[in-house]
Amino acid sequence: MSDTNPLTEAVGDKVAPPAVLVVFGASGDLTSRKLMPAVERLALRRLLPAGFSVVGVARTEMADDDFRERMRVAVEKLGGGGDEAGPVWAAFTGGFRYVAGDYGSPETFDQLKSVLDQLDRERGTSGNRLYYLATPPATFPVIVSGLAEHGLNRPTTDGAFVRIVIEKPYGHDEQSARDLDAEVHAGFAEDQVYRIDHYLGKETVQNVLALRFANTIFEPIWNRRYVDHVQITVAEELGVGHRGSFYEKAGALRDIVQNHVMQVLALTLMEPPATFDADGIRDEKVKALKAVDVMSVDEVAEHVVRAQYTAGWVGGEEVPGYRDAVGVDPHSQTETYMAMRLKVDNWRWAGVPFYVRTGKRLPKRVTEVAMEFHRPPHLAFNERQAIGLAPDALVLRIQPDEGITLRFGAKVPGQEFQVRSVSMDFFYGAAFLEETPEAYERLLLDALVGDQTLFIRSDEVEQAWQIVDPILRAWADETAPLARYEAGGWGPAEADQLLARDGRQWRKP
Amino acid sequence: MTADGPRSDDAEPKSAPITTLGSWEGDGVTVAQIAAALSELRRHEQRAAVRTSVLTLVAVVRDPEIVDVTIDTVRELGARHPSRTLVLVVADTDDDPGIDAIVSVHSLRDQGPTVCFEDVVLRVRGPARWHLDSLIEPFTLPDLPVAVWLPNRLPSPGDPLLRTADRLVVDTRAIGDQPDSLAQVARLLRRLPVTDLSWVRIAPWRSLLAGLFEGHASRPFLDHVTRVEVAGHYGPRHLLAGWLMATLELTRAHVHIEEAEHVSIHISAEHEGRVGRFAVARPAAERVIHSSVEIDDGPTIDQTWRLRARWPSRSLADALTRMGDDPVYRRALRGALELVS
Repeated sequence: MSDTNPLTEAVGDKVAPPAVLVVFGASGDLTSRKLMPAVERLALRRLLPAGFSVVGVARTEMADDDFRERMRVAVEKLGGGGDEAGPVWAAFTGGFRYVAGDYGSPETFDQLKSVLDQLDRERGTSGNRLYYLATPPATFPVIVSGLAEHGLNRPTTDGAFVRIVIEKPYGHDEQSARDLDAEVHAGFAEDQVYRIDHYLGKETVQNVLALRFANTIFEPIWNRRYVDHVQITVAEELGVGHRGSFYEKAGALRDIVQNHVMQVLALTLMEPPATFDADGIRDEKVKALKAVDVMSVDEVAEHVVRAQYTAGWVGGEEVPGYRDAVGVDPHSQTETYMAMRLKVDNWRWAGVPFYVRTGKRLPKRVTEVAMEFHRPPHLAFNERQAIGLAPDALVLRIQPDEGITLRFGAKVPGQEFQVRSVSMDFFYGAAFLEETPEAYERLLLDALVGDQTLFIRSDEVEQAWQIVDPILRAWADETAPLARYEAGGWGPAEADQLLARDGRQWRKP
Repeated sequence: MTADGPRSDDAEPKSAPITTLGSWEGDGVTVAQIAAALSELRRHEQRAAVRTSVLTLVAVVRDPEIVDVTIDTVRELGARHPSRTLVLVVADTDDDPGIDAIVSVHSLRDQGPTVCFEDVVLRVRGPARWHLDSLIEPFTLPDLPVAVWLPNRLPSPGDPLLRTADRLVVDTRAIGDQPDSLAQVARLLRRLPVTDLSWVRIAPWRSLLAGLFEGHASRPFLDHVTRVEVAGHYGPRHLLAGWLMATLELTRAHVHIEEAEHVSIHISAEHEGRVGRFAVARPAAERVIHSSVEIDDGPTIDQTWRLRARWPSRSLADALTRMGDDPVYRRALRGALELVS
């Protein structure tokens, strides 16, 4: 018997094999808001096979039926469910079970083991398991060792798989990330571990790879010879909301830069991979991150700006400052904004500064990578003729209005010869109007079919922390400067000066 | 001849926010006049609109009964699949030779940017109906593929349409039980890529059936199939049965097909003395598909799946999204031909 199922050839999207998704933290917010809607959408798209089952594990006492009902309500709240989905959901949740218990208690894992065995017998799930840790990071080691001690970390039958999905944050600095890895690796081999960053599940982040490596017109100019500098912006218009106490410990650097920004940076910097598979791509990303110059603690003040928002107006609404948010220390030194200049030491990028900024309560939500090109070596026009001419730019917009903008010079119509910059926009959504899967939907299916391409490998995490760690150490000094910026603005004056010192300025996305 | 300013399109005001930015119509006109009208309308379209076309779609209709539904379908498609669409309504007469045209430019604003698309409807009478390729070429978008859709018939081998088409879209179910129709599709496939909308529409059944054999409990049964029963309309049922016969290397004796309103597939198999029964079926009048696995002394699983909301152009949009060759369709068609021979 061949292992592959001949009927799956060219049937469209890959379909998950029969498996049990075991969600730790099943009564939590992430499960209701992200995981269950993703499971429902996958089910409705017929990408989950007959027999696919879900086991929720959490401390809250609940019967199987209560868990099913809770998940149904969660899905409906987000626009799922409805009359049409009713019969589907009823049949589908036949494979939902719930295990109540403490993660540190052996009885919880004994019970889990018996539920899993029962599902294998009744629903043909063949020993395939995907554990999803939708729990606070402090519980990761306890859950991993609980699984390992009960033999739930390894496949029990030939050809079966056991995988574990871990949510960020992966540690709070380089050392804690290494410690966490050691604890996870005590129970699971690296090829069983799926570290999720939902940014990588976004179509448009993947489109960076398509744009770069499926075209010949961009790659030849994607280097120091043509690119003057690169600006990466991850802006949010929202404040910290009710996450104040969480954010106090995280800050923009840990919350956004160490993961999302480093992933976007790696995709921008990387060399073309030899193969388009998990290791082919991840090897190149690690190489790219290794080329980023790790600054010393003393250099941080020169290359990095941190800031915190004060009260202001965003989108016509008056909003309080960060220190007035619930759960935030009135004397907080946590950054809600950071900007930095990165240097990349490799053949392709030597001498090209990468400016990165991220912040909360900026004027709008936008994520983009903008490459500004060198000016022409000689401009044949006189100064007056080229007043409105900015350097050429290529902007990859990741969200919202995903697409590409190319800025170039064109003649202004009329008798006079005047040149001005124009922008040509390509909107991803205007060319392809098909429904695109949500990030969690895409990543959950990838984990079920065993594709690690869009998951972060342990050496990537480590490398990203190495870049960020000196900044954390510099900011641990209470006297390190913390600039302020008004909510609704594009950040503090200090960030503008960071670029002005190089004779450049931030784009207005 | 009339020229309208912007007006609302009443056809689908709620489900898709389409606005007709302008339209032009003329009777007994030339291609040059139509092309000029189209350029003029495009110049007046909203300046903020985005034009990102991916293909030119040409629908050719000879049956007066399906003209309206075809035009509605391509317009709906335009709102989801940006293209220029040309609908050629061919009258089978030499009387009053000439071309009547209606040209419309529409915009769609959903959540993202405004997208523009356009359609040109040409009613062709007289000798020009034998030279439709000459009417298509002037309206194709540069550098983009041309897909020719024949809603309910197949072209003859010498049809000049085949010269302009980069892809042919047909529907074996709509063609129905015509002598030799599946063999004709196979011959066309040797000349150019062909997408069969019947094959596109049965994709859910195929993926559900394939899913039933994933996993160690049921996978071995696939190598020991004893009987396959497929029900459905002419076309889809042959393709499904042909696909199973060719992929699982079954003989004709294993495969049974019958006429039915909705598709159903039942497979029986034996492995190590146990019988497994696998089924995917749509019950009458319900927009769901039931799938089930029953293995002696093994798992018994019933699932219900929702069919995606239906809009007429869904299968056409799916067909135009994936433009590559489909070797599995070729194989299914070979199997289907064996079943009808």
